[in-house]
Amino acid sequence: MNELQANLSAMWASTRMRLVTISRYQGQLVSEIIFPIVFAAMPILLGRASGGPNAEDIFAANTGTRNYVAYMLIGSSVFSIVSNAFWHVAYWLRREQEVGTLESLYLVPTERSWIVAGTALYSAIRSVASALVAYLLGSLIFNVNPLQGEVGLALLFIAVGLIPLYGLTFVFGAVVLKVKEAGAIVNVMQWGVSFLMGIYFPVAIFPPLVKAAALLFPPTWMTNGVRSALLGMGFFFGKWYLDLSVLWAFLLVVPLVGLWTFTRVETSVRRNEGVGQF
Amino acid sequence: MKQSQTSSSIPVLTALSTFNAMVRKELIIMARYPVNFIASFAQVFLIVAIFTLAGSMFFNAPEGQDALENASTGSPSGVVVYGFILYMFLSDTLWTIGYNVRHEQVQGTLEQLYMSPASKFASLVARVANTLIWTGLLSITGAILMSWMIGKLPVENPLLGLYLLIMALSGTFGIGFAFAALTLYLQETAQTVANLLQFAIIVVCAIFFPFSALPEAVRAVSYILPPSYAVDAFRSALMGFPPGFPELLPFEIEFWIVTAFGLLMPLIGYWLYRRAEDAARKTGSLSAY
Repeated sequence: MNELQANLSAMWASTRMRLVTISRYQGQLVSEIIFPIVFAAMPILLGRASGGPNAEDIFAANTGTRNYVAYMLIGSSVFSIVSNAFWHVAYWLRREQEVGTLESLYLVPTERSWIVAGTALYSAIRSVASALVAYLLGSLIFNVNPLQGEVGLALLFIAVGLIPLYGLTFVFGAVVLKVKEAGAIVNVMQWGVSFLMGIYFPVAIFPPLVKAAALLFPPTWMTNGVRSALLGMGFFFGKWYLDLSVLWAFLLVVPLVGLWTFTRVETSVRRNEGVGQF
Repeated sequence: MKQSQTSSSIPVLTALSTFNAMVRKELIIMARYPVNFIASFAQVFLIVAIFTLAGSMFFNAPEGQDALENASTGSPSGVVVYGFILYMFLSDTLWTIGYNVRHEQVQGTLEQLYMSPASKFASLVARVANTLIWTGLLSITGAILMSWMIGKLPVENPLLGLYLLIMALSGTFGIGFAFAALTLYLQETAQTVANLLQFAIIVVCAIFFPFSALPEAVRAVSYILPPSYAVDAFRSALMGFPPGFPELLPFEIEFWIVTAFGLLMPLIGYWLYRRAEDAARKTGSLSAY
């Protein structure tokens, strides 16, 4: 019990330290709120201009909802959560490598998984808060009701989806440890993620193989769950609890796979050039 | 030895030699990270695919509905593709110079660089030279991909388009210098400001959509920014001036605004940079970060 308390305390210390640090950079927080709004604004404005008066009808025929503004805003807000998860974890590792403190972390008496969990918790708090503010502010700017549909269910999809998402970041962290070039990898990854999760479009339009790949990806279920809960477009399996149970399955499997991958790569890197090398 | 004596006695040749050496150095550093090259190609493909699919939610009307019947975009592919190309160049030019100054600060090599007799101007421009070549290749790839996915891309007045692209780039070089000056003052906050500026450019300069889609209040801001005219003139010229284009001002006026932007902004930007640099050297903050 004492050990658990000590680990939790270390985890929370890591989270709090990062939250305190980021609170010094308000501009960065503001840009995180603006990012999803601008990101949603591009297809919204393009759609308004190119679709003409039929924009809503055509969009509804393609996606199942006439509310393309909320659809795009939800996509970009969930994407910002996903993208931030990858950026925060990858950059944390990379920065520790660059400033020469990653190896020192291996010498502390706390299990590394608790320190990583602290970073993940910090990232989740930061990205979910900014995504929620972005969604509310974006709805206000584009004049749509942000609290339509099942808000609680949408939040539940986000909460459950966060755990497999951060499980995936372990895999990603392993890639950063191995390949080193975090910036390039994160850039491709974030666009790959946004493509697969259907940031601006339903994954139903993909060819079968790409669609299968997208459905193996937890953020796809998260995005569709939030959209369906708020806009009533229809869950993949028809019922919300069936889609949520898929996310629960991801919740159980993905973190274990992520941890296993990370540990294997980490061991290999430590045996060879060492984790501090960049 | 003889050659170096000759070139050092002619300032232009010395500057060119410095520029060449710096470009080579940057190229060697870039080549050390092959994943970056592959990743940026993959990134362009994904961006193109995402925006194309997003647009198709509005362009592809099912059951015989004509989505573009009442549209005000001219050619949707032209607006998106040419906006995308210009944005890639603008964002690289705008950010790369300041980012490199910051990087030298963080590495602790900025002061050493200033102690060398090498041309500061060549040093700054060299940072972007490789990026521009690379961005050019990416733009061509992106344009081909996008036109393949969205539809035939109109390519009218290519020489005029090239002239406008060069002027727009030259103008953004100037903004890049000014931004590098700001980096010396803002230090860590510079990256955040760069991000915000990029967002602002995307929206206010109507990069991925026509200006007609912008609310009146935002369009009023577009009118006071020269890059907006660069975007408008560039895509209007390449689309062959379809009805409603250019959207902001008659083309003749936009042409001269873009030309003035391309000629004057580098001078203003570099002047601002030298002032910021002098101030930083006097206060001893050049290497502080």
